[in-house]
Amino acid sequence: MAKKVLILGGGDGGTILANRLVKKLSPDQVEVEVVDKSDIHWYQPGFLFVATGEAEKEDISRRRPKLFRKGVKFTKGEAKKIDLDNRSVEISDGTKKTYDYLVIATGSSLNPDEIPGFTEGVDHFWNYDAAMKLRKKLFSIKEGKVIVGIGGLLYKCPVAPLEIVFLAEEIFRRRGVRDKIEIKYVSPIDRAYAPHLLNKVIEDEMKKRGIDVITFFSVDTVDPEKKVVNSLEGDSLEYDLLILTPPQQGAKVVRDSGIGDDEGWIPVDKYFLNVEGYDDAFAVGDATALPTPKTGVIAHFQAATLANNLAVEITGEGTKELFDGQSFCVIETGMGKASAQVSNYFYDVPPGLIPNWLLHAMKLAMNKMYWRCILSGMI
Amino acid sequence: MSDVQPTVTVDARGVACPGPLTSLIKAYRKAKNGDIIEVLATDAGFKADVEAWVKRTGNELLSLTEEGGVIRALIKVTAR
Ligand SMILES: Cc1cc2nc3c(=O)[nH]c(=O)nc-3n(C[C@H](O)[C@H](O)[C@H](O)COP(=O)(O)OP(=O)(O)OC[C@H]3O[C@@H](n4cnc5c(N)ncnc54)[C@H](O)[C@@H]3O)c2cc1C
Repeated sequence: MAKKVLILGGGDGGTILANRLVKKLSPDQVEVEVVDKSDIHWYQPGFLFVATGEAEKEDISRRRPKLFRKGVKFTKGEAKKIDLDNRSVEISDGTKKTYDYLVIATGSSLNPDEIPGFTEGVDHFWNYDAAMKLRKKLFSIKEGKVIVGIGGLLYKCPVAPLEIVFLAEEIFRRRGVRDKIEIKYVSPIDRAYAPHLLNKVIEDEMKKRGIDVITFFSVDTVDPEKKVVNSLEGDSLEYDLLILTPPQQGAKVVRDSGIGDDEGWIPVDKYFLNVEGYDDAFAVGDATALPTPKTGVIAHFQAATLANNLAVEITGEGTKELFDGQSFCVIETGMGKASAQVSNYFYDVPPGLIPNWLLHAMKLAMNKMYWRCILSGMI
Repeated sequence: MSDVQPTVTVDARGVACPGPLTSLIKAYRKAKNGDIIEVLATDAGFKADVEAWVKRTGNELLSLTEEGGVIRALIKVTAR
C-alpha cells in the first residue's frame, strides 16, 4: 500500500519536497498531499524588487495548484491542530487528515506587535502590500532622515535589510535627491552585519555610499506620532522614513499545537530534520528552530535531503543523506553589483566576496529559474 | 562560577548569521534585571563581541570560558 506523506505548507520547502517525492516514487509507493491556507504562491525574494519598482505582482506570484507535478494532491485549507501522537491534523473545514509521514513546512509568520509602534510607524517589504507601500515612499520622499536596519532580531533572509539600504540609496541618487537625504543603518551589534569578513565588505560599501552605521541600537519601541525610534540601550533617533525587519515567529498552528519553542519554532534533528522525539514527523524551512538562516535556499536543500530520505525509508533502498546546514545568499549592493554569503554547519566564517556583476546576474537569473527549475524539483 | 544557575540558556553553536550576539540580544529583550543568561557559541569572534556588548550596555559579564571549542558566557542582566 502507498505510504501517505502529508505536507503542511506549500511554500518553498513544501512544494519542492512534494514535487521531488512524486518524481522519485510511483503512485503505488507514495501518496503526497499538500495543504496550504492560500492558493497563491509568492516568490518572496521578489518583494525586494517590488519595493524598488523592478518587479510587479505578476512576476512574483503564481496560482499555487499549477506549481505541483502530476500526482501531488493540493488542498486549500488551514491546518488548525497537529496531533503528533495520533498522527492526525485538523483542517479548517473540520476534517481530520491522517498520515504515515508528516512534514511541517509552515514557514515564518510576521509578529509586528512585538515592537510597540511598529505597525503604525515602520515600513518593510516582508509581504506584497507592505512592499508596494514602501515603493511609493521610496519614490516620493524628497528630503529628510531615512533609517534602515534590524527591528525584529530573527527574520527571514538575514541580508534583506542590507539590500534595501543599498538599493534605496541608489534610488535616491537616480532621483536626484540623495544630497537632501541622510541615511542611517541601525544594528544591534557593534557592526552592520555579524559575519566579520563579509561585514568588512558591507561596511566599506556603506562608507563609499555615505550610509552611517549606528551600532548597538536594538530597536525597542517606535513612536509613530513623534517619528522617533527608541533603542533598548537608551538612544533615540528621529526619522522621516523607517524601514525595519518585522519581528517574526513560527506559524500559529505550531504554537497552538504545543510543538514549538516559546516563539513557535520547531526543534528538529539538525541532520535528519525529524521533530525531536518523533521518527514520522519532520519540519523543513523557516519553521524549524535550527540556528541556520531562514532562507529559501535552506528550505530547498532541506527538502531535497528529506525527499531522498523519505524515499529510502519508503522503498528500503538507497542511502540516507545528512543536511549539512548549507546556505547561499546573494546580497544586492546596488549599481548592478552583488556580494554573497556562503556558510554551513562546519564552515561558519563566510568569506567576504567583493560586490561584482556576476553575483548580481545570478540573482536576476534566479528570479526566473525559480518557477520552472527550483519549485518543480528539477535542480 | 559553575554554581551559578542560568535563568535562560542560549545555544548559538554553529550560528554564522545572525550570529550568537544577536541570539543573546534576543534573550536580553525578554529578560529582567537579576536574570542570568548563559550563551554557548562556537564562533571565535563571539568573545570579543560579548565583551564589547556588555561594556556598551552596562550589563555584567560573570564569566567567559572556553572548553572543547565551545565558548560559554554567563551574563547577569543589570541594565534593563
Ligand atoms: C523580503 C524577503 C526577501 C527574501 N530574500 C531571499 C533570498 O534572496 N534568498 C533566499 O534564499 N531566501 C529569501 N527569502 C526567504 C525565503 O522566502 C523563505 O526562507 C522561504 O520562503 C522559506 O520557505 P518555507 O517553505 O519554509 O516557508 P514559506 O515559503 O513561507 O511557506 C510557508 C507556507 O505555509 C503556509 N501556511 C502557514 N501556516 C499554515 C497553516 N496553518 N495551514 C496551511 N498552510 C499554512 C503559508 O501559506 C505558506 O505558503 C526572502 C524572504 C523575504 C520575505
